[in-house]
Amino acid sequence: MIYLDNAATTLRKPPQVSAAVLEALRSCANPGRGGHAAAARAEETVYRTRKLASEFFGLEPEQICFTANATEGLNIALRTLVRPGDRVVLSGLEHNAVTRTLTGLGAKLVPVTAPIFDADRWAEAFAAALSAGASCCVCLHASNVFGALLPVDQIGALCAERRIPFVVDASQSAGLLPVTPERWQAAFTAMPGHKGLLGPQGTGILLCREQPLPLRFGGTGSLSMDQKMPRELPDCLEAGTLNVPGIAGLGAALGWLRLQNRAELLKREKKLLHAVLRLRALGAELWTGPDQIGVLSFRLPNRDPEETAARYARAGVALRAGLHCAPLAHRTGGTLPEGTVRLSLSVLTEPKEIERFLSVTKSLLK
Amino acid sequence: MYDCYLTVRSVTWGQKGRDVLDRAGLRCRLLRAPREIAPGGCAYALSLPQRDGIRAEAVLDRAGVPVAGSWIRRPDGSYVRLER
Repeated sequence: MIYLDNAATTLRKPPQVSAAVLEALRSCANPGRGGHAAAARAEETVYRTRKLASEFFGLEPEQICFTANATEGLNIALRTLVRPGDRVVLSGLEHNAVTRTLTGLGAKLVPVTAPIFDADRWAEAFAAALSAGASCCVCLHASNVFGALLPVDQIGALCAERRIPFVVDASQSAGLLPVTPERWQAAFTAMPGHKGLLGPQGTGILLCREQPLPLRFGGTGSLSMDQKMPRELPDCLEAGTLNVPGIAGLGAALGWLRLQNRAELLKREKKLLHAVLRLRALGAELWTGPDQIGVLSFRLPNRDPEETAARYARAGVALRAGLHCAPLAHRTGGTLPEGTVRLSLSVLTEPKEIERFLSVTKSLLK
Repeated sequence: MYDCYLTVRSVTWGQKGRDVLDRAGLRCRLLRAPREIAPGGCAYALSLPQRDGIRAEAVLDRAGVPVAGSWIRRPDGSYVRLER
């Protein structure tokens, strides 16, 4: 199979990842729940990943909170910062992980729109929307539909000037691009562990620069007599048994990424994306621009996206069609109601897979 | 003899504290705190020689690692809390 659905999850991982998962399954008990060797091994496994992540993102280990996915992290962040009726400024490219959570909280959503690939216009639009005040601002680093990069450093500065807490969804960028919550002045930054970070599914990280409110309540292996949740990070967000095998795999993935030349990885992905853009010459409609990661929306002429993706699947190419859980992004991009076909790369995508994809495309267009 | 116990509120803080002390050249062990020094239930302690206790607390304080309590284990196995 030619797997080009990496924005959903990366399927190909460094071999160390599955080895670490298996080793944890065999040897790790419940961290923070016992003084025996298997519990201590689990504690060390979890801490090793926490420390690697803290170095990766420039924070302290306790500011790294493990979640099940980016959605959980965004839920924690937004439930901490937003109350019913609050005005929340967000990009018009946000995922349902943000918009459904805000809707559920009874917030007043103020989506900001701009030409998808024009970072300056995004910054101007955010400045205008934030000038009317907001309880919170949410912005993704890179769009899961169009791959567009948003100027989160500028938006973070705008929020800081106005003392508006800033939440970043780094779901599509973490692992590939520098994720710098200190520079962005972000209160919270959420990400999955299983996309660009190359860890297992069921893992995620919330980077906390502010005190969060717990989403889950329960045992933390600390201060057990107290019936209130501990305030200390990371315990206040990590009630219940952690996904130790997943966290072990995520640690192995972070260890692998740390050894890579990330500028080279980015350059490689841009080169692959450039090759994919030959789709245009084949007659496809593309959504592309200068600041774009390896996520591309396209449509083949006179073909419904779902039908297109089904035909690619039959030819052994994995893509994703439809709305990508981001109807707001499709509204902003003018691609409702049918959405687009999305192709997404990973640092482990091979050039020959792009060639095969283009060859399948040619055959589909015959 | 590792007879000084600095209690911390979670295993993560204990692990971070251990790293901080290690970088300062202070050897310690991270262990589950004995019940006598964990009145709130379930805590962890950094155990180290008594002679290093005061320096270790200062190092942890500078690194922002909160110490919940400082204890000495007497030869008879009982613990005495140090007020600093």
